[in-house]
Amino acid sequence: MYVPSRSSRFHYRKLAITAILVLLAVNCFLRGRHTAFVYASQADAVAAEIPASTLSALGRKIFFDASLSASGRMSCATCHDPAHAYGPPNGLAVQLGGPEMDRQGARAVPSLRYDLNRTPIWNKEFISNPAERTLEGNEPPAGGFGWDGRFNSLHDQAAFPLLNPNEMANKSPEEIVARLKRASYANDFRKAFGEQVFDDPSKAYADMRIALERFQLDDPSFHPYSSKYDEYLDGKAKLTAKEKRGLALFDDPQRGNCATCHLDRKGVNGSHPLFTDYQFEALGVPRNPEIHANAAADYFDMGLCGPLRADQAAERAYCGLFKTPTLRNVAIRKVFFHNGRFHTLREALQFYVQRDTNPQRWYPVSSSGKVEKFDDLPPNLRANIDVTDEPLTRKEGAAPAWSDAEIDDVIAFLETLTDRDASPAVH
Amino acid sequence: MSKFSWKRVAAAIFAATVAVGASHTAFADKDKHEDRVATAAAYVKHVFVIVLENKNYNDTFGTSTQDPYLQNTLVPMGGLLTQYYGTGHVSLDNYISMISGQAPTPDTDNDCLPGFTGTIGNYNNVKQTGVAPQGQVIATGGCIYAKNVPTLPKQLEAAGLSWRGYMGDMGNDPARESATCGHPAIGVGTDNTNSAEAPSAAVPLGDAYATRHDPFMYFHSIIDDQASCSKHVVNLNRLTADLKDERSTPNLVFITPNLCDDGHDGSGTGEPGTTCANGQPGGLASADAFLKTWVPKIMESPAYKKDGLLIITFDESSYTQSVSTSSTGQTTVDITFPGQTCCNQQPGPNLSGVRPGSFTLVSTPTLVENIVINGFGGDRIGALLLSPFVKPGSTSDTAYNHYSLLKSLEDIFHLDHIGYAADDRRTHYSVDTIGDDEDIFFPGPGRGHGHGHGHDFDYPSDPHFKHPWF
Repeated sequence: MYVPSRSSRFHYRKLAITAILVLLAVNCFLRGRHTAFVYASQADAVAAEIPASTLSALGRKIFFDASLSASGRMSCATCHDPAHAYGPPNGLAVQLGGPEMDRQGARAVPSLRYDLNRTPIWNKEFISNPAERTLEGNEPPAGGFGWDGRFNSLHDQAAFPLLNPNEMANKSPEEIVARLKRASYANDFRKAFGEQVFDDPSKAYADMRIALERFQLDDPSFHPYSSKYDEYLDGKAKLTAKEKRGLALFDDPQRGNCATCHLDRKGVNGSHPLFTDYQFEALGVPRNPEIHANAAADYFDMGLCGPLRADQAAERAYCGLFKTPTLRNVAIRKVFFHNGRFHTLREALQFYVQRDTNPQRWYPVSSSGKVEKFDDLPPNLRANIDVTDEPLTRKEGAAPAWSDAEIDDVIAFLETLTDRDASPAVH
Repeated sequence: MSKFSWKRVAAAIFAATVAVGASHTAFADKDKHEDRVATAAAYVKHVFVIVLENKNYNDTFGTSTQDPYLQNTLVPMGGLLTQYYGTGHVSLDNYISMISGQAPTPDTDNDCLPGFTGTIGNYNNVKQTGVAPQGQVIATGGCIYAKNVPTLPKQLEAAGLSWRGYMGDMGNDPARESATCGHPAIGVGTDNTNSAEAPSAAVPLGDAYATRHDPFMYFHSIIDDQASCSKHVVNLNRLTADLKDERSTPNLVFITPNLCDDGHDGSGTGEPGTTCANGQPGGLASADAFLKTWVPKIMESPAYKKDGLLIITFDESSYTQSVSTSSTGQTTVDITFPGQTCCNQQPGPNLSGVRPGSFTLVSTPTLVENIVINGFGGDRIGALLLSPFVKPGSTSDTAYNHYSLLKSLEDIFHLDHIGYAADDRRTHYSVDTIGDDEDIFFPGPGRGHGHGHGHDFDYPSDPHFKHPWF
């Protein structure tokens, strides 16, 4: 995490070394005990012997290598474009991939900037005392990588796009390794992991994902902290009156209430906020017809309870919940929410404050005039949608939490979260 | 049969004289070096306190199968206080009572969560309007006591004695709280330590420190001096080094495990959906594992072996739950805390209209969920004492609570009594001091016995008495 007084490069190298030492210690400590979760991918014995900088440099090459895909035209960076804060370069609700680059992915592409290092493993704290559980900690689940949090480490997560038929579309890990063996940097891979590394495809496959992980965790390009808001937090810039009004609206728990989930204050050590609490939330974003899979009336992407994520399928209360994304660089995006339903920031904000006051604007209306709210969930699960936290509590016909002018102010504030090097996505 | 001793006779005469002529507090002021307890607890110079969370006495020391180390190994080694009570529900007020004798404010009784019984909440100053008998702060709410409110740590410092609070996980995530004297900024709103943080790449072990289980953070007298506070309230990891030498072991070692290790989080079964944020089972299972790790370290330390007393207890007891379903199909779940007290516990000046109390947490056509707190006490939790001066396998049915604990520590360390640890002769209020409990402790030199000229041992051949105070 960014600490103003230190250089990022030094900080992350130090962090990585510390993490490895801590993990080794923990591994010894926990041997023979009930195994606690730790962020454990760095514990790989081979990776621990290789300098993090070597791994990260290799990971960079892999991240940008389109030859690792079946189409030969898709790399990680195709969707997670560094020019756009490692987010999507365009306004497609979901990106195209597959062998012919004509197959839709399942969900909108998130930015990879900032939050990877601090994404906790997927968890749901259980407080045994029911009174205290209710008072203090009956929080929704949190963490994990992906909109549904189904991966607890980046090196596990990396397998998904590499093998997903709608993305890089490799048929097997062996196919990925075969492509890696032909890559221009294959000798670098051998130098790092051993001359014989390609003789064992499963090990080579694991090693490449560790390198990818290191790049995403360590490379300074993922954590530039170069926005106006960062300068404001450091006392090096002033917000305009409009931006200040927007920040106040963003913070106000009785109105926008955004900062409850999109944390915007410095940590106690002066570290800058990441604008997410990693918790899951059910907003009831309308169904998006731009996603072809939604043509099937019985298909619902329900996030935490599936169908992409399988292990929480029995938890019906989790249906419709998706992980809160960071809002850093949100103003350069052209696609919002997990299903990319909205394409302007203004419309996304309007949805928040008018979802309940003007539901007919967002959801289908039957011939009898009935609004089918929360239409992207089966009717029996729509009670999962949040109607208790501001600004999601209003009655139909009531005044929205923000006026149009106030939305302008909030947009002005959100624009201060754009990094200096981040270019707006194109439509 | 005890041997006759002129020293004991002289000490008894002196003690009787003092009892007639002076209050207990004045006794302490006049001669801090006289033994204030009647048993071998007088020899104790290092006290270790481990506070666990939210369990009934009958579970912890009876029916639970999750804590075999505590029940089957430690209990036979120590003295079990069967009638030890918490002083309130929910957590924070218990911790505060242990180190200050203060009864709750309308906020500290609900862990300073805003919107329940308090109007201030979060990590904000106590709004004091006066002082009631026994130094009780009268307050409309708030959580951090003013600088002039007495505390056990400040008493220890004034007496030239040392103390440290050892907090599990504190500072694991330095953005969440500092690794020393870790607390939220005053007045900024939500306390982010209310929820446990799961492990991430940046915080590989996660962070389950909870400010509300760290009583030292609620007194300006402690937190305002940052350098002193950072020296005194540290991460639990520090304890291993501090235990190595008697000189580096503080006189008072106060240990709060993290939210998982203290049993607060998790069911203890390990069943999916009922674990701690870090995946551990929590409950008494994790508390037992914590004890299995740390109690041997403490008992092997030179300070404990010489003159140590380890007290293992809980902040408060748990609840009972009843479920009923009406003819219309509405299920009502009542979660009831008896709120029982012992020891003539007083509610303090701030709980009128607050305790007893009830909250309806859920009210739908199919489900009603009520929390009912029928009293202002913390119910029966029990405590286990381990010490060279404690009779192995002993039990005592004398009633004690956290105010008794405070009084007991003050007696052991020859300090004045503060808050509800002090007697009130007008109302005949007085709590027992654990050091007087002859069911638990071996006989000692006798109350009022001086320290400058040696002790008489009733059982000089007893191996427990190889390491007296001096």
